[in-house]
Amino acid sequence: MQSNQTFADVFKARGVSRRDFLKFCSLTSVYLGLSPSMVPSIVEAMDKKPRTPVIWIHGLECTCCSESFIRSSHPTIENLLFNMISLDYDDVLSAAAGHQLEDVRKKIMKEYKGKYILAVEGNASTKDDGVYCMVGGDSFLNILKETAADAAAVVAWGACASFGCVQNAEPNPTGAAPIHEIIKDKPIINVPGCPPISEVMTGVITHFHTFGTLPELDRFGRPKAFYNTRIHDKCYRRAFFDAGMFVRSFDDEATRKGWCLYKMGCKGPTTYNSCSKIQWNGGTSFPIGSGHPCIGCSEPNFWDRGPFYKRLAEVPFLGSDSNADKIGMVAVGAAAAGAAAHAAVTAAKKVKPGSENNDKA
Amino acid sequence: MGRIIEEIYVWRLPVRLYHWINALCTVALLVTGLYIAAPLFSPPLGEAALHKGMAWWRYVHFAVAFIFIANFLFRMYWALFGNDKYARFGGFRPWSPSWWGKPFREQMESYLFLRQDEPNYVGHNPVAALAHFIFIFCGSSFMILSGLAMYGENNPSGFNGHLFGWMIPMFGGSYTLHFVHHLMAWIFPFYFIMHIYAVLRHDVVDRTSVTSSIITGFKHKVEEEPV
Repeated sequence: MQSNQTFADVFKARGVSRRDFLKFCSLTSVYLGLSPSMVPSIVEAMDKKPRTPVIWIHGLECTCCSESFIRSSHPTIENLLFNMISLDYDDVLSAAAGHQLEDVRKKIMKEYKGKYILAVEGNASTKDDGVYCMVGGDSFLNILKETAADAAAVVAWGACASFGCVQNAEPNPTGAAPIHEIIKDKPIINVPGCPPISEVMTGVITHFHTFGTLPELDRFGRPKAFYNTRIHDKCYRRAFFDAGMFVRSFDDEATRKGWCLYKMGCKGPTTYNSCSKIQWNGGTSFPIGSGHPCIGCSEPNFWDRGPFYKRLAEVPFLGSDSNADKIGMVAVGAAAAGAAAHAAVTAAKKVKPGSENNDKA
Repeated sequence: MGRIIEEIYVWRLPVRLYHWINALCTVALLVTGLYIAAPLFSPPLGEAALHKGMAWWRYVHFAVAFIFIANFLFRMYWALFGNDKYARFGGFRPWSPSWWGKPFREQMESYLFLRQDEPNYVGHNPVAALAHFIFIFCGSSFMILSGLAMYGENNPSGFNGHLFGWMIPMFGGSYTLHFVHHLMAWIFPFYFIMHIYAVLRHDVVDRTSVTSSIITGFKHKVEEEPV
């Protein structure tokens, strides 16, 4: 495959009709939240711009991002997707392996210096020179730094690369650190989620390809197009929340009726993602749609944010049985006890001086 | 009871109004806030679309919060520009070592039963001023900022999102901010108990009618009773 092919060339070579190509461009504009007037720009970019090469590297991770990615349903053919983003290096998906594959990475880095996108799935162990994650005989920490040096932008796939996920949850034995803590001098797009929604992943890359710029990011570096609203605000069970109709245990009548999962610890009200809009697997369902509370996987450090099935987080340093209300009640109780004790001492003290100077009756 | 020898007008009407609006708002905010965190009532019967069980509690919480904020801002105005001897920030200088000197020490010693006589203040004593600063000024400021940040969450590109949204990453995420907001809410009942106890105790010990002063505005000096 020549590296200067455009998307349109690839589509054509694969026997995709012009009509389907235009459909794909329209759908992409919808997912990016762009107005219909922007469709021609996407068509043009796909038609004329050479494909942006992507180097996809894997660190400490579970590959769930890749699993999600290859299930992108718009377009429906997974095969198209691989070609679409011009995925030139991916040590998980490539047929080649070993030195051959590493040479490809070096080649891309040289040929497309400053132009390729580095997609990072997983994060790097930073403790003991990153020895807890080795790829191709080198630490992933070194590979990440080396590959990021000439990248146009870095895409941090998933909760691992964006925020750290389970490997940097307490006590973080390998010193796992998210990408933005290691790479400081490159624009980084965080695409959190465990995994992120596949259409979000393809949408982010298409945005970069179309406009040559990063999408607008929120305060956590997440693309606003997909992470600007909370699960809760678009949740189809929101009516039950507002009405005060809650599931109270997983086997009650309310569960069967599909009421709100707020009391079951749903993190939807504090989680920014597109699950309740785009949904998963081609719009089939999403966790809340399947009766499970949201665990907030696209939020920072969600593993350390208390039990998944309780509304109030535990307080980490006070053991697993403490929450805000218990601490509050203990503090208020202590204040009341203190006041009572102080009153008692005041009364007792009064008796002594009172006996000598006055006898108020 | 001894004869009243002096009547001092301490708490002017704006201060008294602020105090009671603040008290009522705090109670309402605490009750609705705790309910929002743990909705207890049984679900209504029938279609969800016809009911507002949870929405009502949230609505009251937000509506009262805005009254609370307006009242707080008014009190800040009054403290800075009210020209009110007993309600201004004037005497409160915790950054200056001299403020922590004799008056503060004596009042603290009195509370800790380390001295016999009770220092007497017409307005707030230094320890009370510090408590008000920590619990009411800092506590309310935090609750207002974090509350507005969370209120802006359903439209992050909107007014509240822009102005107060920085609170969210500062506390490590929306969930953590909710948690800290909830935890900090408990300082108000904590403060309430200390406040009521201190007022009643001062009234009994000093007999300055401090309890009723927040209704009438007047404190009294009472003649020492002859033996």
